[in-house]
Amino acid sequence: MKNFSLNLGRTAGFIAAATTLLLTACAPGQDTPTPVVNVNVSNYLAVGDTYTAGVSAGGLTRNSQEYSFPNQLARQFQSFSGGGTFTQPIIDGSGSGYLSFLDVSPIGYVRSRRVAGQAVRGTVVNSNSCIIPDTVRLLTRSTTAGTLPQNLGIPGLLLSQINTANLGNQSNATPGGTFNPYFERLLPAADNRTYLQVLTTASTSATFFTFFQGLDDLMPYIRSGGTCGSTPTTNFANTMKQNAKRVLDVLTAGGRQGVIAKLPNITTLPLLSLGQGDRLQARLQASFGDKTLLYIEDPLGIGPGQPISSDDYVLATTLPRIGQLTPVLVGSTTLMLPYGRDVRNPLRDADVLDATTEMNLLTAAVSNYNNNTGVAPAAPGLETLAKTYKLPIITTSTSESALNLNDFLFSQVDGIISVGGVQYSAEPVRGGFFSTDYYSLTPRGNGLLANAFITAINRAYRTNIPAIDVNTLPTIAQ
Amino acid sequence: MRQRLLLLLPLFSGLTASAGGFDNGPQGARVLGLGGASTAYINSIAGLSLNPGLLGQWADSLTRVSIGGIGQVRRSSYIGQGTFQRTDQDLTIQPGGYLYATHGVSKRVSLGLAVNTPYGYHTKWPDTWEGRSVVQESKLNTVFVQPTVGFRLNDNFSAGVGFIYAFGKYSQRRALGQYDDPNASTELSASGSGIGVNVGLYGRTGDNLAFGISYRSGVKLKMDNGTSSATGVPARDAALIPAATEFKTQLSMPSTLSVGIANHITKNLLITFDFTLTGWSTTDSLKLDVAATGNTPARRIATARRYEDALAFRVGAEYQVNPKLTVLGGIRYDETPIRDEYINPEFIDANRLGISAGLSYQLTPRLALEGGYSFDYGQLRTARANQTIENVANVSGTYRLATNTASVGVAVAF
Repeated sequence: MKNFSLNLGRTAGFIAAATTLLLTACAPGQDTPTPVVNVNVSNYLAVGDTYTAGVSAGGLTRNSQEYSFPNQLARQFQSFSGGGTFTQPIIDGSGSGYLSFLDVSPIGYVRSRRVAGQAVRGTVVNSNSCIIPDTVRLLTRSTTAGTLPQNLGIPGLLLSQINTANLGNQSNATPGGTFNPYFERLLPAADNRTYLQVLTTASTSATFFTFFQGLDDLMPYIRSGGTCGSTPTTNFANTMKQNAKRVLDVLTAGGRQGVIAKLPNITTLPLLSLGQGDRLQARLQASFGDKTLLYIEDPLGIGPGQPISSDDYVLATTLPRIGQLTPVLVGSTTLMLPYGRDVRNPLRDADVLDATTEMNLLTAAVSNYNNNTGVAPAAPGLETLAKTYKLPIITTSTSESALNLNDFLFSQVDGIISVGGVQYSAEPVRGGFFSTDYYSLTPRGNGLLANAFITAINRAYRTNIPAIDVNTLPTIAQ
Repeated sequence: MRQRLLLLLPLFSGLTASAGGFDNGPQGARVLGLGGASTAYINSIAGLSLNPGLLGQWADSLTRVSIGGIGQVRRSSYIGQGTFQRTDQDLTIQPGGYLYATHGVSKRVSLGLAVNTPYGYHTKWPDTWEGRSVVQESKLNTVFVQPTVGFRLNDNFSAGVGFIYAFGKYSQRRALGQYDDPNASTELSASGSGIGVNVGLYGRTGDNLAFGISYRSGVKLKMDNGTSSATGVPARDAALIPAATEFKTQLSMPSTLSVGIANHITKNLLITFDFTLTGWSTTDSLKLDVAATGNTPARRIATARRYEDALAFRVGAEYQVNPKLTVLGGIRYDETPIRDEYINPEFIDANRLGISAGLSYQLTPRLALEGGYSFDYGQLRTARANQTIENVANVSGTYRLATNTASVGVAVAF
């Protein structure tokens, strides 16, 4: 009854509104919120690596750039008067080439076909590369080369390379040379500037930035099962943080506002989560209809194979080879044994990130890079840097200053989310978030990422930038 | 008498909600004009379906028939919480109608028949709206048939009992937004029937004051013939979302407990009051028992609704302008059975304030024309979808609801 009398108190307003409505139309009106923006986003600069550049399905294409999260974010900025133009280093059509989706196997890996890129103008094969020949594809120059684009996301750019001269100079495109073809195509020919110098130039007119970088530093190590790339030790993480600080010093110069994004947990990436030890073993057993265990090499390389544990991660790129018969020398005879599904033919170290050493190092490095408080001799992590630069608090619950993409998005997707009645999960392609390469995002995944940034900006700067209806975006970028 | 009825109030006071829900409004042109406060109202035989106890009052030599149509436009607007995009529901008219007949077989006993459409809705959102993967269109239609017998206990009291046979039809359509094909969608429909009872009592103290009390049981519509179909599903997911499946379900129509009084203030002015408690809590969840198809085993898909029992308070007035013309008016407040956590675009409801007006014009001593109109305006409702609860399909945003109900009919006595 209490409820009832309270509600009657509002009846006067009700009747007035009701009468107006009756006289006009029968769809009742509501006031649409007007975007209020307390931060200058008129000149937005995006800094980062693969994700920021808009790579999708293993390649940078005209369409994947269109749906890059910075471009989607900029489009939302433009939906009200505060946003300005946003230039991207547009690549032609199929760009660098990509992995076209075919279907999903019963144990969950993606079958895809490599489509050649029309912007590839030459290749340099580095036969000294760690496991397989590493092919560097030279790309046609961006039309923005004279002026620099506002999306400065460079696929494969490592933080440790930001001070490398000639990183974008074709003269360095040699076997063993430090060279990034995506950086090269942003610059005039034979330009020897470092990324940091380019960034300094590009940032002069910027009023707002996003910084989401660092995952690519870990990817060579991850993709090679811990056999190539720099081992993510404490020193390695310190270098990452110091270089992140150099970039952020430039970005926050003069009190420029922006959002710093922390790295998600690497186990939320399908490259790893698809091959989580015990779950993969269960899927394989269901698929083969047996009870065979999955074996990995002893991480120290001394003992025999050992059964996989729930904290060991098989790389998703390995899955098609598991169970295939391969020749193994047992004693003095060569036997054909199923790969990984026989103790005498365990999964090789290069195909697995083992729990005891590799996963521990990677997890520690991500946490160190994100959250280290920076007591000497350690360098401060992103969270501490964000506080130093007096960037506003983003989450109210844990009072973080940097955008915790793991809690905001990646770990949620890993546990399946429902957005407007559509489910998104970490399953590549079918889950709608990750693309065929088990790492980069689909256009919808990029939309969700842009929405995470919008949520962060809205909370931090007390604005209300409209979010994207991600269900209207395509599920693949090509 | 009034004192005693007021004592009933605490009975309902512990309940937070009321009628509302997917009821179709008062079932008759004249009672619609009266705002539905007709538990103790004997000037229209439409009261028969709300309170069979009234039937004894028509145990005279006349046969009465009342017939008419009802149309309800129930429309909401939506503004997305994140996107700020406004979407208005498409205009749909939920058709309804009624047929009532009474005939006295003796001085003490009379028979009656009520056929009407008390529950239903038709929600239709634009096909491309933000929540298209939650729902695009949902529709429920019911017909209640109620043969009734009424007894005149003495000059002042009468009682009645009715048997209800109900038929209902439910359908729903939504987009499969996980696919690029904008026409990918799934559709389900089912129909079925159920039974119930309706009992009531009517009494008079003196010439001016009357009261009524009635209880209509809930009706479970058993739907065993449900079919579900999907279109636009890519081949790789054909096993997950089969092109056609069968299912069974049950829909609960709520019970109602009504108390009302009618008071002649002057010779020409009658005021009526009603309290109605509607037992919506039987609508706990929508459970679809889906049959096995191919390699997919039989399964149950449950969508939580968690409706609450709901209370409605109605006041009506009838004024006889002259021997031919009677005008009616009403005002009512209906609480919604839908809790904040379970607001879903399939069916939007809110605490509503309604006003109504109607008239009855006696063309001949035996034939009257009746018309009624009612307008309800709902409070703003805010839905907050939690995206980490992946099994609940919903969208976040605010809804505003308005309903327009109109009815015309004739009443004959011969």
